[in-house]
Amino acid sequence: MNPFGILIGIVTFTIIGLGFPLVIRGERYFGYWSWPYMMSIGFLILLASLFIQSDWGSVIVGVIGATFVWGSTELKEQAVRAELGWFPFNADKVRLPFMETIKKWKAPHL
Amino acid sequence: MNTLGLIAAVTAFLAIWIGHVAVRKVEAEARDIRLPMIIAITLGLLTEYGSLVTDNWSLKTVFGILGITLLWDAFELYRQQNRIKHGHAPANPNNPRHIKILAEHSTATTLDLLKRDPIGRSVSPVEAPKLIHH
Repeated sequence: MNPFGILIGIVTFTIIGLGFPLVIRGERYFGYWSWPYMMSIGFLILLASLFIQSDWGSVIVGVIGATFVWGSTELKEQAVRAELGWFPFNADKVRLPFMETIKKWKAPHL
Repeated sequence: MNTLGLIAAVTAFLAIWIGHVAVRKVEAEARDIRLPMIIAITLGLLTEYGSLVTDNWSLKTVFGILGITLLWDAFELYRQQNRIKHGHAPANPNNPRHIKILAEHSTATTLDLLKRDPIGRSVSPVEAPKLIHH
């Protein structure tokens, strides 16, 4: 009767909750075309989790990685929400490298 | 190499994805959302119980995350209904519960205003429906 899994579930839930402001702020300041950056950061964090000996550490880092990957798939819809006025719209976004190329790609949405 | 983090990440990702899609579909079709809410809570509690009693560390992790996601999905069904009321998600005109929402809430709509690509500027409520992909 070890509650490890339940505690992991609660911690995961909290980390995913932090994904909401990540998506909202990420889209507001960097635009939805920042999705490949957010996704890459997520996969790198996920990769790092494999090298953490502690089970707790590995799970927390792994779930943070999953949150970034998931967040990257939410950016496009968040951009539409901001355009509709459901969230503050920022017209003056940071221009990340390769922005124009990324804009030609189809942004992921699940 | 410790794969527990990867297992947790994949479980969380799939559980959110499937939950996300299921909540929208179930809320749109259900005549009464209390039944699917009770089912999600029951499944969530059973899954958490499974996580508590199994000795397998990977299964503990998978069940632990899955169970909490199911419990949250029950609450998301309620939140989805509120999105319908605000017009932030499309109402189903064939669902009697949604027909009632459409009659009582002037903000509710059958249009999915998010079903389009961003255009890079603010959009007025008049323009928004014209941009939807059909």
